[in-house]
Amino acid sequence: MSRTMRSFILILAMTLVGFGWTAACHAQSAADIAVKAAQKYSGTTLRVIWEAGLQAQDPLTFSGPEWKRLTGITLQVVETPFPEIFSKIVTAHLGGSRDFDVISYVPAWQADLVAAGALEPLDPFLDKYMPRGSLDDIHPTYRQWLNWKGKTYGVFDDGDVFVMYYRRDLFAEPANRAAFRAKYGQDLVPPRTWADWDKVCGFFTEKYKPTLYGCAIQRTEGQDYFWTEEAMRNNGVRFFDPQTMKAQINSPAAVRTLTEMVNANKNMPPGVEKWGFIEVFSAWMAGKVAMIVTWPPPGRWSEGYGNRVEQLKWLPETKVIGKVGYALPPGGHPELAAAFNLGVSVESANKEAAYLFIQWATSKETSLKRVMLPFALRDPYRLSHYASKEYRALWPHAPEYLDTLKSGAEKGLLDLAIPGAREYEEALDRATVAVYAGTPAKEALDKAAAEWDQVTQRIGVDKQRQAYQEWASKPNAYPH
Amino acid sequence: MNGSRLSKYAMVAPSVVLIVSLTIFPILYLLWISLLDWDLQRAGRAFVGLANYAGALQDRRMWEALAHTLLIMAVAVTAELVLGLVLAEVLAGALPGKRVVIPLLILPVIMSPIVAGYGWRMLWDTQYGPINQLLGWLLGRPVTLVWLINSKTVYFSLIVTEVWQWTPFMFLALLAGLVAISPEIHEAAAIDGAGRWQRFWQITLPLIRPLMLVALLIRALDVFKIFDTVFSLTFGGPGTFTETITLYVYLLGFRNFRLGYTAAMAVLVLALVSLATTALLRRFSDE
Repeated sequence: MSRTMRSFILILAMTLVGFGWTAACHAQSAADIAVKAAQKYSGTTLRVIWEAGLQAQDPLTFSGPEWKRLTGITLQVVETPFPEIFSKIVTAHLGGSRDFDVISYVPAWQADLVAAGALEPLDPFLDKYMPRGSLDDIHPTYRQWLNWKGKTYGVFDDGDVFVMYYRRDLFAEPANRAAFRAKYGQDLVPPRTWADWDKVCGFFTEKYKPTLYGCAIQRTEGQDYFWTEEAMRNNGVRFFDPQTMKAQINSPAAVRTLTEMVNANKNMPPGVEKWGFIEVFSAWMAGKVAMIVTWPPPGRWSEGYGNRVEQLKWLPETKVIGKVGYALPPGGHPELAAAFNLGVSVESANKEAAYLFIQWATSKETSLKRVMLPFALRDPYRLSHYASKEYRALWPHAPEYLDTLKSGAEKGLLDLAIPGAREYEEALDRATVAVYAGTPAKEALDKAAAEWDQVTQRIGVDKQRQAYQEWASKPNAYPH
Repeated sequence: MNGSRLSKYAMVAPSVVLIVSLTIFPILYLLWISLLDWDLQRAGRAFVGLANYAGALQDRRMWEALAHTLLIMAVAVTAELVLGLVLAEVLAGALPGKRVVIPLLILPVIMSPIVAGYGWRMLWDTQYGPINQLLGWLLGRPVTLVWLINSKTVYFSLIVTEVWQWTPFMFLALLAGLVAISPEIHEAAAIDGAGRWQRFWQITLPLIRPLMLVALLIRALDVFKIFDTVFSLTFGGPGTFTETITLYVYLLGFRNFRLGYTAAMAVLVLALVSLATTALLRRFSDE
């Protein structure tokens, strides 16, 4: 056998072995690998910090017991109200209390949590256990949340995105269509701009109130900044001047945006300024509003999926089954509001076990089961979730729902995620609520912009410029 | 040093240790922290001298929060005093059902302020709140006041809640003063021809004045620290419209983890309260 022939056979053999090895690895899913590797930690307990209430039902009643059954590792859930999660993570870290092994955190906090030194880089674990390409199934937009300054700190776990829900029956009713055309000279269709939203909302409110109002959006303090950030960016506002880092949230476009937002309240139900998530979707489920913009879960529950399980018995019975339409909110670029990553605490005594839980919980198979839990607040975020035949068969309009979520993820806007993000957001939130209370938009935004500038100065202009430019370079930072 | 002196020191040592560790040390530590640029979310804690104090004194939001606190304090404590005095005057006499009414009246004081706050939050609710419902019945048309957002009504709602909870305290304190006044004094004044109103101004008020001042001082200090009610009702909103000084300090310290700056602000507030209290106490003792 010639030398060339021997070399050829050797290379061929090595290639075959390589393919075989890769195939063997692929045969084992991320979930299988995690479970097998975690079994050596059987008998230990992992403490996870998780948002209290419905969110925590997943680890309490599904993923926790299932993980215990598969690995023998107990999952202890520390339920924490959303506004306190960040403080609890930071104080636990500073106290070195080893309170948590797994941390469920909002990706926009990642920069601050990393700066505080609370999160463990996951790269060594990913290299060791995560099958190549497994994370590619996470929607590319959401994959932007995994890293900070070149290191991976979390695995994405919740596809939050704003969706517009509208009443198909009201939009399809011939009398409404004719009256709307007569009044505005255009078709009655789900609005694509906020100007059209006002027209449609006003039209329905005028016709049906007080039985039904045209629209509702939560306006109470605490989470308003999501809507403000979304509306501002859809109107062309940039948060900062990328060179000077001066806040731009009091620009003429920003003032116009907030003025439009407060004007939109006039067609909404009385007292909407104090409505939160619960009030909005309760009114929606009760058939008292024609359009809402909110997170994904009401889209499932209002079609009757899951709202009769024990965890959701407190929900009002839906009166809009079969009438729910899904679309992207006006502007076409919805806020990818909040969401969650799963990370490992630097204080954890069981970092590897904590990571393995994350790998298992966010794996293709397990995560599909989790986002399909009837009471789930974790929303689809993997390409395989959107394409899942099982999910698409859950109710007649589920395919449209999933397609809307996917489209929202593609076109959506990332929350501002630079150091001090929470402080920037809180200042914007206060300004928004102040405007709802009667403060002129310009005055409120000038004040908020001054607060933003103070935060920037305090953290350091150069440092913030670098962080902002990195964030702003992501495809989903601004409308694209 | 002989044995008896040693035993004296041994006797006071536990109290001294307790006071030093629970009062003196925290204050000294607070002062030290206030001189540092210490943000728990960032590495390092550089010594910055009085920079945090300078920053706090220029912090417009702090002065606004202080003004909001003083406004609530002035209106709420005055209202509590007047209402408490009226109730005490009415219930100091022989009133049928008094034994039932007094325990009922003091119920709000027993309640945790955070519970009272959340309870009133529901009462003030625009859509489902009984207050709008009652007003609707009275006016004969739907009432949709957004009590806790509207800048014209939010302070009213906040102060009503505060007054509802704490008037009974003022009432109890003043009732104790009123029942301690000897009836003979009133009888003598009545024989001399003094009317009810004259007796109230010339006898009752001067006699309960020291007690009233102490009750006022306690309530004023309490309202200066108002936190739970604002936290549960408005969280300082809309915007920062009802943000009080304690809420602002809480947000800086426990939400934003700016320890150095928060400590400086806490020291300033402590100094302000101490000065005001000392001045008031001195004035009371002079009287």
